[in-house]
Amino acid sequence: MQQKTALHVHKPVGTYRYVQIILGVFFSAYLLWRLYVVLIAHPAYGPDTWLRFTIDGVVLGSVYALIAIGYTLVYGILFMINFAHGDVMMLGAFGGYFVFEALGAYKVSSSLSFLNAYPVISVILAFLAGMAVSSTAGYFLEKIAYRPLRGAPRLVPLISAVGASIFLENAAQLLFSTQRWDYTNPAVLNRGAGWNIHVGQGTVVVTYTGVLTIVVSVLIMIGLYLLVKRTRLGRAMRAVAENKSTAALMGVDVDGIISRTFIISGVLAGAAGVMWGIHLGLVYYYVGFIPGIKAFTAAVLGGIGSIPGAMLGGLFLGVVESLGPAVLGISFQLKDVIAFSILVLVLVFRPTGILGEVLSEEKV
Amino acid sequence: MTRHIRNGINAGIIFGIVTIFLFMIGFTTTISDLLGQLLRNGSSIAVMGFTPGIFDLLVFLFFIGMWAGISGAKKTPDKIDTWGTVLLSSGIAGLLHGILVGGLALLVGSLLQAGVTMTVYFAQLLPDAIHLFLIGLNATSAGSFYVIFFLITGLIGGVVARTIRYGSWRQNLTAWSKNKWQAFTAWPQYQRIRHNKLNLFVVYGLLILIVFLLPQVLGQYWNYTVGTVGIYVLLGLGLNIVVGLAGMLDLGYVAFFAIGAYTVALLTAPAPHHLMWNFWVTVPIGILLAAFAGIVLGIPVLRLRGDYLAIVTLGFGQIIAVLLHSDELTAFTGGPRGVAAVGGPSLFGISLGTPEGFVYLILLAVILVIFVTIRLRNSRVGRAWEAIREDETVARAMGINTWSHKLLAFAIGASFAGLGGVIFASRNQFTGPEDYNLMVSFNVLASVIVGGMGSIPGVIGGAFTLKGLPEVLRELENYRVLAFGALLVVMMLIRPEGLLPTSRRKMEIKELHDPDGKEAGETPGGKS
Repeated sequence: MQQKTALHVHKPVGTYRYVQIILGVFFSAYLLWRLYVVLIAHPAYGPDTWLRFTIDGVVLGSVYALIAIGYTLVYGILFMINFAHGDVMMLGAFGGYFVFEALGAYKVSSSLSFLNAYPVISVILAFLAGMAVSSTAGYFLEKIAYRPLRGAPRLVPLISAVGASIFLENAAQLLFSTQRWDYTNPAVLNRGAGWNIHVGQGTVVVTYTGVLTIVVSVLIMIGLYLLVKRTRLGRAMRAVAENKSTAALMGVDVDGIISRTFIISGVLAGAAGVMWGIHLGLVYYYVGFIPGIKAFTAAVLGGIGSIPGAMLGGLFLGVVESLGPAVLGISFQLKDVIAFSILVLVLVFRPTGILGEVLSEEKV
Repeated sequence: MTRHIRNGINAGIIFGIVTIFLFMIGFTTTISDLLGQLLRNGSSIAVMGFTPGIFDLLVFLFFIGMWAGISGAKKTPDKIDTWGTVLLSSGIAGLLHGILVGGLALLVGSLLQAGVTMTVYFAQLLPDAIHLFLIGLNATSAGSFYVIFFLITGLIGGVVARTIRYGSWRQNLTAWSKNKWQAFTAWPQYQRIRHNKLNLFVVYGLLILIVFLLPQVLGQYWNYTVGTVGIYVLLGLGLNIVVGLAGMLDLGYVAFFAIGAYTVALLTAPAPHHLMWNFWVTVPIGILLAAFAGIVLGIPVLRLRGDYLAIVTLGFGQIIAVLLHSDELTAFTGGPRGVAAVGGPSLFGISLGTPEGFVYLILLAVILVIFVTIRLRNSRVGRAWEAIREDETVARAMGINTWSHKLLAFAIGASFAGLGGVIFASRNQFTGPEDYNLMVSFNVLASVIVGGMGSIPGVIGGAFTLKGLPEVLRELENYRVLAFGALLVVMMLIRPEGLLPTSRRKMEIKELHDPDGKEAGETPGGKS
C-alpha cells in the first residue's frame, strides 16, 4: 500500500477526452453559478444555517469515513467490493441498541437505571458490543461466503457478496421485524442537546452526540493508522495487499491476515453503526444499505485502497450531501440522488479517485 | 481421531446456530404448519402420542438433526472412518446441536414462564411459537429432551452417512442408469426419430400447442401467476444477455423495467398527461426508450472494471427509485401515488386485457425474445460477447470492438426489460414507485444465476423456481428473499455455473476450478 502506482484504468482517448473536459467545465460553471446565487445574489439561508449544514455533514461524514475504511481495506487486499459491509454495520447498530436497552432496564437504585447512572461505561459497553457483533459477522462472512471463492472469476465472489447482503438484511428483518427502533441514549447524551453557539442572528446547536461521533471516529482512525503503520499485523496487511504470493513466501499467513482484515473492518463498521444509532437514533434492518453504498462512494472518491483517501472521501461526501440540496436548490428528498450522482460521476470521470488509487499494477 | 472430534464439534455448532436461527425467524413454526398440511391434510388427530403440531415440528427437527449427524461424520481425507469414528463424530455433533438448542429452549421457556414479552425485540417469538417449541413440556424438561433428541438423531445420521458412503450401491446405481441411457440412445428407432427433422418439428409443435392451450384450462389466479413468471422470464432473458453472455454485472436493471412501465403508463393513462395513446403504439416506444436509456447509461459506464460497473448501475437504479419516490416529479410521473388506469391491449376490437389475454401476449413476447437471443448468441455478436466475458483484453486483441459490443449487450438487455415493463404496467393497470425497488433487480439476478448464466432453459427454470414456487408455497413467502440471498451464496460456492448451464460455460468453470489453474503467481482477483 506504500508504493503509489496510480494507474488510469482506461485512458480516455480521442473524443471521449473532449467530452469529458467539456462536461467538466460545464458542470463546474454551473456549480459556481449556483454558489453565487445561493450565497450572494439571493441568500436563501443565513450563516447559522450554513454552519449547521456543515456540522451535520462533518458528523455524517465521519461515520461514512469509518465504513469507507472497511471497504477500502478489503478492496485493497481482495479486490472485491464487500457488498455486505453495510449490513455488517447494521448488525453492529443492533448490538449497541440491545446493550442500551438492557442497561436501561437494569436498575441500580429505585429510580436510576445503569444507563443513566454510569453513562460513560454504558456508551463504552455499547461500542464494544457493536464492534464485537460486527467483527464476528465480518469474520464469518469472509469464512463462509468469500474464502472458498479465492481464485474464482471476479463475478463469482461479487455475486456471493450480493447474496450475503440480501441474506443479512432479511435475516435481520425476520428477527427484529421491519419496525424502526429508537436508540435510548443515556440522558446526558440526549439527541438535540448540546452547546449553543451564536452565529449572525441565529444560534447553532453543536450536539453532544455529534461531538461524541467525531471524537470517537477520530480516535479510531488514529488507532487504525498506528495499527497499519506501526505494528507487525499492519505490516503483514500491507504486504498481503501488495502481493499475496510474495507475502506468503515471506512467511505471512495470508488467509489469517485476510480474516483479520475482515475483523478490523467489522470493528470499524460496528463503531459506525453504534454512532449512527446514538447520533441519528433510528435503527432498522435496512439501515446499513444506503450508508453502505455511500461509504463505498466515499472510498472510491478518495481512491480505493487508500486509507487516508477513504477518510477524506467520507468527510467530503458527508459535507456535500448535507450542503448539496441547499446549494443546488433542490428538495432535501433528493439528497441521496446527489450522493449517487457523485458516485457515478467519480467512477466515470476519475475512477482512480481524488488522491489516486493505491493498488499495485497487477491488480488493475 | 482429533480430526473426527473437530468435525463433530464444527458440525454441531453450525447446526446448533442454524436451528436456533430458524426458530428465531419463526421458520420452524411455519414449516411444521406446512408439514402438517402435507402429511396429514391438517387433521387434528394425535399422532404417536404427540399433538399434531408438535409431531410435525419433531419430524422437521428429526431431519435437521440427522443432517447434522451426517455432516458431522463427513469423510476425512485419510479415510480411516470406521464405525467407531463415524459414530463418535456424529454423536459429538448431535450432542452439541442438542445442547445449543436445548439451552435456547431452557432460556426461552424460563423467560416465558417469568412473563417476559419477547416479541418486543424478536418479532417471531410469539407465546404460541414458544409453546410449540417447548413441545408441551416445561423449560427444563424441554431443554433436556432436545439434548437427547438431537443426540439420537445425530447418531442416526452417522449410521446413515456410513451406510451411504461405504455401500457399493451408489456406484452400482450410477453405472446401471448410465448403461440404460446408453442402450436407449443407441436404439435404432430412437436414432431415427431423433435425426429426422420432421419429428422434431412435430414435438415442438405439440409443445407449443400445449403451451397455448394451457391458459384456457388454468384459472384466473394461475394465469396471473404464470403471467408474472413470464414477465420475470423476459427480464431474466434480458439480464442474461448482459450478465450471462457479456459478463457485466448490472444491479440497476430495474431502472429499464421502470422506464418501460412508466412509458406505457404515462402515454396511455388519463391521469397526469391525458395522452390516451393506443397500447400497441406505446410498446415500441417503451422498448426504444429503455434501449436508449441503456445506451445513455452505458456510454460512460462501460469503461469501468466489473465491480465498479456493478456499483454504478446499482447507483443508477437507486437514482431512478429515489426520483420516482420523490414529490419533485409528481406533475410528470404521478409521484409516490403512481399512475392509475393504464391502458390495456386490444386486437380487432377484442380486449386482451384479461389474464388469459396477457398470458398469450407474454408468451408471444417470451418466444420472440428467446428467438432473438438464440439468433444473437449464435451470431458473430454472441461469440464476441462470450469472448469479452471470458477475457476482455484477449477479445480486444482478437479485433473485437469491445466497447460497441458491450454497449449493444446493454441496449438489448435494457430493451427486453423495457418490453417486460410495458406488459407489466399494462397488466396491472397501475404503476407506482413501489414496484421498482432494488429487490426486482436482485430477483432477476438470482433467477439468472441459479438457472445458469447464459443458458436460456436455465433462465426460464430459474424464473419458475424463484417466482413461481413461492406462489405455490404461500406460507413460505416471508422467507423467499432470505432464501434468495442464501441461494446466491450457495450457488456460487457449490455450482457457480448454475443448475442448467450451457455446455460451454460448464467447461469454462471446470477449467477455472482446475487445481492447475491456481498457481502461486495468479492474483486472487483472477480473470476479470
